[in-house]
Amino acid sequence: MKRISLILTLLSFVFAASAQDYYIYVTAESDDEVALVKFDGTKAETIQRIPVGVWPAENEGPHGITVGPEGKYWYLSMAHGNPYGTLYKYETGTNKLVGSTTLGLFPASMQISSATGLLYCVNFNLHGDMVPSTVSVVDPESMTELEQITTGAMPHGSRLSADGMKHYSVAMMSGELFEIDALDLKVSRALNLDEAAKAPMEMDHSKMDHSKMDHSKPKESDAKMDHSQMDHSKMGHGDGMKHSAFKPTWVSPHPNKDVVYVAGNGQAQVMEVDTKSWKVTRKFETDKGPYNIDISPNGKYMVVSYKTAAKTGIWDLDTGKELARLDNSQKVTHGVAISSDSRYAFVSVEGVQDDPGMMDVFDLQTLKKVATAELGKQAGGIAFWKKD
Amino acid sequence: MKLLKQSLWAIAFMIPIGLFAQKEIVIEPANISMDVGEKKQLTAYVTENGQRLDDKVRLFSRARKSLFIDSTLTATAYLPGTFEIIAIAAGKRKNFEIVVNYPPVTEIKIDAIPNKIYAGTPVALNFKVLDKAGLTRDDVTVEFVSKNEKIAQVDNFGNIMTLGTGKTTITAKADGIENTISLNVVKNPIARIELSADGDAARTGDVFHFTARAVDAKGNEIADAPILFSFNGKADDVSSSASGLIKQDGRFVADKAGIYTVTASAGVASAQKTLRIEPRNVSRKIEQVGHGSVNDKHTSDFWIWEGQDGRDYAVTGTWGADGTAYFWDVTEPGNIFKLDSVQVDARTVNDVKVSEDGNITIISREGASNRKNGLVILDSSNPRDVKILSRFDENMTGGVHNVFIDKGFVYALSGGQKYYIINIKDPKNPFAVGKFELDTPGHAIHDVWIEDGIAYSSNWSDGVQLVDVGNGIAGGSPENPKQFASYAYPSGANHAAFPFRNGSTGKFYVIAGDEIFPYGLNMNGPNMAGGFLHFIDFTNMDEPEEIARFEVPFAGSHNYWVDGETLYVAFYNGGVRVVDISGELMGDLMAQGREIAFIRPSDPNGYIPNSPFTWGAQVHKGHVFYSDWNSGLWSAKVEPEKPKGTKIESK
Repeated sequence: MKRISLILTLLSFVFAASAQDYYIYVTAESDDEVALVKFDGTKAETIQRIPVGVWPAENEGPHGITVGPEGKYWYLSMAHGNPYGTLYKYETGTNKLVGSTTLGLFPASMQISSATGLLYCVNFNLHGDMVPSTVSVVDPESMTELEQITTGAMPHGSRLSADGMKHYSVAMMSGELFEIDALDLKVSRALNLDEAAKAPMEMDHSKMDHSKMDHSKPKESDAKMDHSQMDHSKMGHGDGMKHSAFKPTWVSPHPNKDVVYVAGNGQAQVMEVDTKSWKVTRKFETDKGPYNIDISPNGKYMVVSYKTAAKTGIWDLDTGKELARLDNSQKVTHGVAISSDSRYAFVSVEGVQDDPGMMDVFDLQTLKKVATAELGKQAGGIAFWKKD
Repeated sequence: MKLLKQSLWAIAFMIPIGLFAQKEIVIEPANISMDVGEKKQLTAYVTENGQRLDDKVRLFSRARKSLFIDSTLTATAYLPGTFEIIAIAAGKRKNFEIVVNYPPVTEIKIDAIPNKIYAGTPVALNFKVLDKAGLTRDDVTVEFVSKNEKIAQVDNFGNIMTLGTGKTTITAKADGIENTISLNVVKNPIARIELSADGDAARTGDVFHFTARAVDAKGNEIADAPILFSFNGKADDVSSSASGLIKQDGRFVADKAGIYTVTASAGVASAQKTLRIEPRNVSRKIEQVGHGSVNDKHTSDFWIWEGQDGRDYAVTGTWGADGTAYFWDVTEPGNIFKLDSVQVDARTVNDVKVSEDGNITIISREGASNRKNGLVILDSSNPRDVKILSRFDENMTGGVHNVFIDKGFVYALSGGQKYYIINIKDPKNPFAVGKFELDTPGHAIHDVWIEDGIAYSSNWSDGVQLVDVGNGIAGGSPENPKQFASYAYPSGANHAAFPFRNGSTGKFYVIAGDEIFPYGLNMNGPNMAGGFLHFIDFTNMDEPEEIARFEVPFAGSHNYWVDGETLYVAFYNGGVRVVDISGELMGDLMAQGREIAFIRPSDPNGYIPNSPFTWGAQVHKGHVFYSDWNSGLWSAKVEPEKPKGTKIESK
């Protein structure tokens, strides 16, 4: 009897595992649409294309997307406006538009705090001068912008700590990491990432994987930059303008440790920053153009999109080793979202010109690409919705 | 049973104790009211099972400009009303309201009226209600009372009708506040009104100028007589109304053919003049001549020019596609064919412009794969073999939506907020020399057009901006652009602007177009636009006057072109509309029958089949060329103008 029960139990687990469907929302920035993608464990397909925006003859640029903690609504930042961008609120499943509010210039990535219930969206200001921009704080229930908090030039990567009380973002051009108190709505700390990248780490060096580091060669991105030919006086930039060499594009907090991971798009590096000491504790040498990061809910994996290399890196955070560096199915790798069961990483890939966007699915256990769904042009923002 | 008990215990242990806790946000006092201008320290805290905790609470007003609450929970009231407040603590939320009391009314302000009013003439009071906070109150009802109704009566809108001579007062009352003005009604010397006009017959849309003089019994003019103009009429078509527009300076225009009577009155004295209005009769046939199909992607803007070899060429952009611009031979408008194409790193080549000599073409880039957009300078001296000369991205990597070329300079929009002026005299080495940007809150820009050294930019809610970039009117230059005039209209939808100098009247108009999509979005089928053209009379630069409009029902304006006194305008789903804009303009040009012709580019093989969505129009060597979002480049011919009838010329 016991044996039968065990078999039945095992079978039920097998059945349950094989019946899992995963749903992901992905934006197509140059097609003004959002795709709802279903992945059944073997096949990924776009099951709905949702046109977004209000201007047929203007590209409005859906960029950032997030699903609220309760899973009832998804939120979309529309980059282009006159001049300000817009945050839209849709109901998951029905994908009906239920609300909107105006944010700042080129609103981009965002997340809702599980503690405050507020949505924090960076105003990337890609179209503007290299001046400090803001993080918009929105009450998603009433869709009211409550505050704009000034941070750095071209803020990106808006993510909250696991307890929902700290908000992290980076400023791509001024090279800073910002921590905002999610309730005070004030910048509590900032870290100069260019300086931090140069400084020695506060860490146990025995855990570093030097095998993949090649410090002997200058970075290609550095070699291509010749700022001596630039006439900054005519650029209309404010005083103190800076072009960060580290060029941070993303930050993701660890789900159960006091560390955040910052993508250095300009230096092919991800830095781990201890949020207690506010110092760099580890550096991960990546492929070209690390852009977005997601950490698996179980805290074991870090998945990094390598935008320039068109690859995706899967890292073991305990060992600090890159477990796999896998090709994406299209050029210009963009966003990463990991399933709630920490099993799969969903990676959006933009393509170039009229290439279709793609969403690749990577199995974090087998470390292989297992499926790809075709999307609209310039697939970017990506958000995991649910597992059924 | 034992197993069940164990399971229940296990479940009980799994439930966090916290779930039983009752956290609440408490606001004190429970009911908060404030006065405008008042600051009030609010108290908010969290309790759990009745015990006060140290948890932080933030309060946010949903109407920050009316009632603001800072991080110290100090509320400042700016405007009256009832405002929703959101209280947030970690894991807890509460909504409540704060009432900001309407301040008491302190004044009913009435503008001065003439010292003497002629009996029998009306006076309209201009008034506003002010409260203690200095705010104008539109929510307060004002009651007007005349002290002596035999001298003057007053209605609830402040309109006074004087009846007999003598002195009296009019009192305005609201919320216990009063203001009384004196009225001095004197004997009316007006014996008659003399009314004249510059004709008694014309066509619909022709503007009359009436002059009225009030004179006494001896024929002396009474200069301060309040003269009002009005009209009535009867349309020839019994199904139409005899509509039109009359201004209080004596300008009148009729929409429909018929008999109209214009009245000038000053109290009981009045004069009338009757007009015969004939149909404008400008409609002509328009016929499609040629079509250069683009049906695998959307088409955007275009430009037609005569090449160095005397043949005629076109360049068209593409939208939401692969960054291609097409070059065409349009020498024979009935035989449009592709010559060459250029592909750049972009998804949208929204705008294309060609230099005066045809040798240089500029195309704009949006949706670049690396998000570093800008513009590309092409050698189009041989449109069969177009070559990329250079790229210019500095300060415009966010995307260039529209460009214009003028005398060796490119005016390129950057980031939707400003335009840069780029010297391309050496097209392989372009460099920026100037920029123009407004400093208004939330300023934005959509287009710029240069003519005679003046840049006409379309700045959405900031309207049309006229900037001297070499004309000399304000001492500006490409290196030092100087704004000297502007006009904004309430819809805030200004998307395009085109100057129009009317040689026959000396009037100088700027035609400002809307871009509005009020009917939603359909990316896979036909779309409908809204919005119209605003004709702004800039003849007096200091006081521009919005004087006329052209609107096509259930369609919306996009780009346009003026050739002589004819307007060619793309109205998206309404196709190309050809409009007579001769003579003085006033009122509703469509109602006046000024539309000459229209043509809709419908293509069953289009990118979206049978879905006209016309982008722009341009006249070249007697043909109308127009690009369509779903079907490519088209040409058409408007039949020659009909001879005008003698009645039309009699005015």
